[in-house]
Amino acid sequence: MARHVSRRETLAGVGIAALSAGCLDRTRNIAGRDRSSQLTLEINAPPADRDPNAIRIARHLAENLNAVGIDARINTLGLTDLRRKVLINHNFDVYVGQFREAEPFDPDAMYAFTHSQFVAESGWQNPFGFTDINGTDELLASQRRTGGDERREAVEDLQRTLCELQPFTVVAFPDPLTAVREDRFENWTNRQPLSVGGLLGVERVDAGDGDADGTGTESGDGTAAGDNETTAGDNETTAGDDETTAGDDETTAGDNETTTSDNETTANGLIGDNPFTDSGDEEGDSATLRLVTTDERITQNWNPIAAEYRRYGTFTSLLYDRLALVEDGEIIPWLAAGWERVGDSGIEVSLRDVDWHDGKPVTAEDVAFTYEFLQDTSMGTTESPVPTPTFRGRVSAVDEATAVDEMTVRLTLDGVNDAVGVRALQVPILPKHIWEERTDVATIAGFEVDAETTEAVVTNNEDPIGSGPVRFVEASPEESVAFERNPDHFLVRADDGDDSTGDAMDPLAGIPERFRGKPAFDRLEIEVMGSDIAAVQAVGDGFADATVSNLGPDAVPRIGREADARLVTGRSGGFYHVGYNTRRAPLSNPRFRGVLASLIDKRSLVDIAFDGYAEAAASPLAAAPEWVPSDLQWGDGETDPVHPFVGEPGSLDAETARDRLREAGYRFDEEGRLIAPGA
Amino acid sequence: MSPLLSVVSSLALWVGSALLVASVAIIRPRRLYGLWNDLRDRLWEIRKPLAALVVVLIASAIGRSSLQTVSELFGLQLTWAIYALEGNFVAWLQSTFGSPQLTMYFSSVYVYGYVFLLAFPFLAYLALPRTTTVKRLLVAYALNYAIGLVLYTVVFAYGPRNVMPDMVTSLLFTHNPEFMALTGEVNEPTNVFPSLHTSLSVTVGTFAVLTRREYPLWTPLAAWLAASVVIATMYLGIHWLTDVIGGTALALGAVSLSYRLVDEE
Repeated sequence: MARHVSRRETLAGVGIAALSAGCLDRTRNIAGRDRSSQLTLEINAPPADRDPNAIRIARHLAENLNAVGIDARINTLGLTDLRRKVLINHNFDVYVGQFREAEPFDPDAMYAFTHSQFVAESGWQNPFGFTDINGTDELLASQRRTGGDERREAVEDLQRTLCELQPFTVVAFPDPLTAVREDRFENWTNRQPLSVGGLLGVERVDAGDGDADGTGTESGDGTAAGDNETTAGDNETTAGDDETTAGDDETTAGDNETTTSDNETTANGLIGDNPFTDSGDEEGDSATLRLVTTDERITQNWNPIAAEYRRYGTFTSLLYDRLALVEDGEIIPWLAAGWERVGDSGIEVSLRDVDWHDGKPVTAEDVAFTYEFLQDTSMGTTESPVPTPTFRGRVSAVDEATAVDEMTVRLTLDGVNDAVGVRALQVPILPKHIWEERTDVATIAGFEVDAETTEAVVTNNEDPIGSGPVRFVEASPEESVAFERNPDHFLVRADDGDDSTGDAMDPLAGIPERFRGKPAFDRLEIEVMGSDIAAVQAVGDGFADATVSNLGPDAVPRIGREADARLVTGRSGGFYHVGYNTRRAPLSNPRFRGVLASLIDKRSLVDIAFDGYAEAAASPLAAAPEWVPSDLQWGDGETDPVHPFVGEPGSLDAETARDRLREAGYRFDEEGRLIAPGA
Repeated sequence: MSPLLSVVSSLALWVGSALLVASVAIIRPRRLYGLWNDLRDRLWEIRKPLAALVVVLIASAIGRSSLQTVSELFGLQLTWAIYALEGNFVAWLQSTFGSPQLTMYFSSVYVYGYVFLLAFPFLAYLALPRTTTVKRLLVAYALNYAIGLVLYTVVFAYGPRNVMPDMVTSLLFTHNPEFMALTGEVNEPTNVFPSLHTSLSVTVGTFAVLTRREYPLWTPLAAWLAASVVIATMYLGIHWLTDVIGGTALALGAVSLSYRLVDEE
């Protein structure tokens, strides 16, 4: 956004001289032109306490922009404010952020992210205002509708087009680093420890091993990763240890100095004798999974569709079941017991027998409502539809959803292939009886502020009622939030019912063994910490079992120093990128964006900003390498295949970068500042 | 024990002992004895400024989070402007003088020294025969907090450690993450301009100079501690130089206002 001295001011300044000289026309010709000034770009990023990696990328870019004569300003904003500014208001020049998919994803995730049909919508759909009606839109549409080699070709061309046009610059795919301690919970997956599947897969450590707070961890078994056997040795715990009930399910309480947790509802008998999960009724702390994060948003808002508040949506996915769960490429029928294709474009989904957290049954009506509602959260009451700010690409693949009977729903797909169809099954299913009250235009004290906003997209959704494996308990904003195990969830209830195999109707059909009877915790507490370092320290000191949020280069080495903490890492889909607001000149020019992309030294950033725990990439699909054509792959330690960094690794060649900008038509003044092109 | 509790108890222990020693050495037993005998009357005399300070503190504790929201929505986002103004001064400070010993010194001064610095003058001036000075001190504290709160709301900016972690290490929290539990309770990371640590320390330092006749020993000690706290705010990467200058201006303004508001008896 260029700053100009207004025409009026300039005229006032020279007016008198001009009049007396009598050459008014010539003066008008000069003063009538806007004066040139240096180009200013504002780079928006969260502060280091909230995201230690993003700000480092922003700093790197700002430094190199300044070096080539662009006035770059870093604007640090809280996570929610940043999202609001970028995704909702589109009032930004450049931002640094992470993509919203936690795991490697299907190429169709790019549909909502870059298709020009979404330029006017707010949320995760095309925040760049990017429009490429010739290439991108067509390729996005065709990869949805074709299969096999035809789809592969479209996806490859799509990546080439996106890399060339750079509506955003992919920087790197971070490893999802987590510090975990394993004296209370084990079986942390190395793939995605804090995904829905990762958290549900966690197991309680067997009785006798649970030195609950780690305060008295002896030298011997603390550091041993994972599978330390039950050592009888450390069983001198005092209180709470005598109730070791049936079998092997008991963890001793130890002495819990943290908050007393719960009054578990295990008394209702349903799970009373479940050997996997039951904690009995006696002690609290040992069954509580304690997580720490630097992201305070989960303590403030539980709206699964709110774009400002969701990072990956992991915890809202634990609250709200989806029809299908995809884990490591495995498609698991979740709220749906199964589905089959009917006709050309239909899917008939049969539901499991489940209840909402408030006791009402989940019906096909709820599912049909959800799909219609996400297309238009006003349900037809406003002039133009108000679609959901997240999951937009997924629901756009569904033309119609109708309840066939109580437990069966038919989705009519928009001619999409199976892969996209499965993505469409992954939206949070919402209870109709609660969300149909939220279709009105949002108001403040009774006044409508914006007809484009409904209550549904702005509600904090206090006391969220979903059907998922955990229920909401309590929260204190910006500090902590607590969830508890849902004893009525199908994972628990069905697993509890019978374990004889020969049943005709297995209520857990399709559910992998590792999820049955889960979650293994009775209570899930998430506490907000001041920084990534404090979070790692909390795990090291035994106040928490795992970190949730990103860890920066200062925090990672600490994990090695903390005897009880272990580093778990896997593969992520949440690539860091630099997004450009292509509505604003000169960011509207793909040539200009191309030069900006070549100012980013991705390889050095991986070392500096991520301590090596990331993969530099050119393509947004690099987490799923099978889709990336060889000409876009990032070889070992090589530079970007499309927009190589200008200069040697670690040092920018500013003069060459300026030449590139000159070639693209941009001008510099005598001090080497890039002159803002007329707005 | 939770990190917050352990930090708070160690703080109470250390500052309590320091106050005890300083009281005997600086205020002297005779005045302390007089204070003990006359405590009720003196507290009654200073009830108005004391109440004012308590009101401001309560208002700040209650209103902080909503004012923070106002600041997020409508505040001036000035991080870039502060950075443009002073550039890498704080980074330079750290890279030039940084050492483990200094980090330890400034960390303890920032937490322990600061609390002592604010608490001691209250005792010392209350022990004076006339209550004018203690009234002025309380009024100056209240003004610092009240004006600081307004400026925090108007200016939305993050400190150097949050903006340039590549150059400025967050020394306090890197070496003593447990302190974060404490400062997180009393501070928002976006409340950087002005530095309240600076303004309150400079306020105490100014009073110490103005009362050098009464407490000649306190003046150099307060000046030393105040200067250390001021440097610590920047050395630890928490505040910008701009915040420190703003904090100093706020302090001098608050002291001079307190002299106008509270007349000599």
